[in-house]
Amino acid sequence: MMLLYVLLLPLVVTFLTPLMRPKLATAVSAVAFLIPFAYTVYGLASGLVVKIPVVDIVRPIGKFYILGDQVSFSFALAICLVSAMVALYSLPYMAHRFEEMGKELESEYRKYIFFYNLYATSMLWLVFSGNFIMLYIFLEISLLASFLLIYMYGYGDRRKVATLYFVWTHIAGMLALIGFLMTAAANGSLAFDAIAKIGFVAWLLIFLGMIIKLPGLGPHVWLPWAHAEAPTPVSALLSPLTVGLGAYVILRAYLISPWFIKAYTMPIFVYGVISSIYAGFMVFRQNDYKRLLAFSTISQMGYCLIAFCLGTYGIMAVIIQYISHAFGKAILFMTAGGIIANYHGLRDITKMGGMHEYIPTISNAALLGFMNLGGILTVGMFGEFFILKGVVDTFGLDISAILAVVFVFIISGLYSFYTYKRIYCGKPAGYEKVKVNRLLDTPLFIIGIVSILLIFPPLAAILLNAVKAVIAKVAIATIGGVAP
Amino acid sequence: MLEFSAVLALVVLTVGAACSLKDARISLATSLLALAIVLAAAVSTPQLFMYVLLVIAIGVLTVFSMNVKENQMSGVDYALVALITVITVYVAYTSDIAFVLAAFVIASVPTYALIFVSTDGKPHVDVAIKYIAFMVLATVLFIIGTLLLVYSSSVKDTVLYTLGFVMLILGLGMEVGCAPMHEWVPDVFSAADPLPLSVIASITKIVPFIAAYKILLLTSLPQLNNLTLFVAFIAVISMFTGNIGALTAKETGRILAYSTVANMGYIIATLAVITSKNYLYLAFAGALLQLIVNAFGKASFFASIKTDGCSRPLMYVLALSFIGLPPLMGFWSKFFILTSLVGAGLVWLAFLLIVNSAISIPYYLRIARNLAKDTVPGKVTAIALVASAAMLITVLPPNWFINVAKLVIGGV
Repeated sequence: MMLLYVLLLPLVVTFLTPLMRPKLATAVSAVAFLIPFAYTVYGLASGLVVKIPVVDIVRPIGKFYILGDQVSFSFALAICLVSAMVALYSLPYMAHRFEEMGKELESEYRKYIFFYNLYATSMLWLVFSGNFIMLYIFLEISLLASFLLIYMYGYGDRRKVATLYFVWTHIAGMLALIGFLMTAAANGSLAFDAIAKIGFVAWLLIFLGMIIKLPGLGPHVWLPWAHAEAPTPVSALLSPLTVGLGAYVILRAYLISPWFIKAYTMPIFVYGVISSIYAGFMVFRQNDYKRLLAFSTISQMGYCLIAFCLGTYGIMAVIIQYISHAFGKAILFMTAGGIIANYHGLRDITKMGGMHEYIPTISNAALLGFMNLGGILTVGMFGEFFILKGVVDTFGLDISAILAVVFVFIISGLYSFYTYKRIYCGKPAGYEKVKVNRLLDTPLFIIGIVSILLIFPPLAAILLNAVKAVIAKVAIATIGGVAP
Repeated sequence: MLEFSAVLALVVLTVGAACSLKDARISLATSLLALAIVLAAAVSTPQLFMYVLLVIAIGVLTVFSMNVKENQMSGVDYALVALITVITVYVAYTSDIAFVLAAFVIASVPTYALIFVSTDGKPHVDVAIKYIAFMVLATVLFIIGTLLLVYSSSVKDTVLYTLGFVMLILGLGMEVGCAPMHEWVPDVFSAADPLPLSVIASITKIVPFIAAYKILLLTSLPQLNNLTLFVAFIAVISMFTGNIGALTAKETGRILAYSTVANMGYIIATLAVITSKNYLYLAFAGALLQLIVNAFGKASFFASIKTDGCSRPLMYVLALSFIGLPPLMGFWSKFFILTSLVGAGLVWLAFLLIVNSAISIPYYLRIARNLAKDTVPGKVTAIALVASAAMLITVLPPNWFINVAKLVIGGV
């Protein structure tokens, strides 16, 4: 029952914060996500598995329940920490944005913080859903809230971009919904513990829907627009948390009925490698900081697709990759926002250079973020390690597969540090040194520190044990997998 | 009890309408009184109470939407709207074909008078003629279709049965505005006064569908299995015509007209599930809920057009409900429809429905944007507020609605 109260806390806070003044609302929101964060660490450490029934729906839908297992806790770890830190970051950033749009802080912030909390809370509830329909509902609520945030406070042609985002993601959700409904018709229920098998067409639809959301190469057209034009705190949730939830849904389906991924390992693997490499190269060509980060997201999500094909170690890698990407990308989007807020909408990388001189704290945070993406000395390191281990397990010592994956890693590392060099090192571009608002850099360091702490005991042991518990389940569910 | 309350309600309505020549407010009061009587009588059938409550809520909203501005038949119009509401409630209680047909006619005829309404003194005659011509044709088709169905199901004549089925569906489609019989909808919706449209686009759509469901279930022959594909095609044509039309339309009234065509397409799609024992109730629950969503939404939107807009958040709630975002009511209706279609093996139809619901997003947002303005307290704001509140009653999954729908379709 403890879990239910912990989850209800941000939900209640969502409806209370619009009544508060901006500073108090921000502090309360951050605390409302830090308490669940503490609880998820406890849940991971103690290997907790809880089921709390909510309501029982008619037959083809089955019962709704809250499911807290190690998968949920691992994803929630990232969601809670990033949501809490971005909430703190929102206050100075949105104050700048409202000023730019000629709106009054006090009244606009009430609207903003409501939709922000609704958005983050729906993602948190999503990973604790024990029924595909419940999951779908939270997926759509998160879509609605993020859509409205882009629609109201985005940059550029924000209404068009928001509609583009809405249409694509709604199609993604609806495709998955048909997949879920077909599963419901075949199994008589959509509760995770009551589904025996997901059929071919249903799996295909769920997979396609989530490929749009993830996104893979092809349906990725909406992502650079949406992530670049969203107000930065929203980008810092969209890119790290929301797109990765596509991987979460596929993971849930995989844990129930893994045959689809196993049957089509090779095409999915190749597709993942190609999307990752393509997006990695696209990063080099971008001159807009936020758009650059958006392409890097596509590249990083390619990792998840690759990891799905790599058996039990691959599943470990998916979870860790989600966490490391969430931390890294949240930091990076917030650094982009930091530059925008301090230098009046500066996003063009060609006009930057040597920014370390002017904003050393943000520059250092960006270094931590790029280390996460490159998998250096942060939790991302485990992700890459398990992907490589999975490749060797799945393909043996097939040199082409190993080379492909290593190539993907090298591109990520390269573009990370190339970008870092372009923006923060080199010849100073001649700006004034500014005093950075503490809320624009401290949250970044907190995320950065947690991502480093996660590779040292005791947190490393907690995380890895929890993820191992997940794959022990995979090994039981599927014949042939080897649990370490 | 029920019969008594029905008669009492009708008497009150008639007296009120007659007295309204003196003062329109008398009729407003008696119309509300009649609806209150019907609601009170519904307490005796608690299983159906929620249906009655929702219909009465729509009825009261539409009565008040006629009240937004004075028109040349103020007074009588409230009674006509209340009459449609009363018959919409009582059609749920019967499984007698004669009564169902009577209900179909009673729900349709008052709109022939309402369509003339205007607030500038000149009645909209040309639009009214067009509307009435189509409606009469629709009613005749529907009645002949029903009679053919009844006769052929008793003598087991499959050819006549097919003919009757097709006529019934065409009549139904023309009555509610399904493509390709939707000709009248865009013209009437953009030319007539928004006040009667808030009635015509909303509450009058409910009875024809309930009637069609009841008639088809009462007269079903095995032949019906082969005929559902016909309905599915009409549904697909209607969805695409409606959504593409709405996407390209400029005026808010015209967008709403095409949106009605699309919505009727979603609803008529559920008739394709009518032969599936397991999913019939879910399909009907989806159809009925979608009709209720449509009624609440269209009544508020048209009332808002009359006053050049309404409170911004309310308009967005209604538009998002039409788009089908959970946990708003519009999500559950589409969800029930999709579940029943997939369950009955019509995955392709479900897929097309989803494509359509994606097409519909931009224009619903445009409606909301066109109509949104700052909140000013007033009648229209109150109407939209009640409608938006109704969209939110399904925050918890509306399980109960499936049981209600079972009773509505089975009669009590």
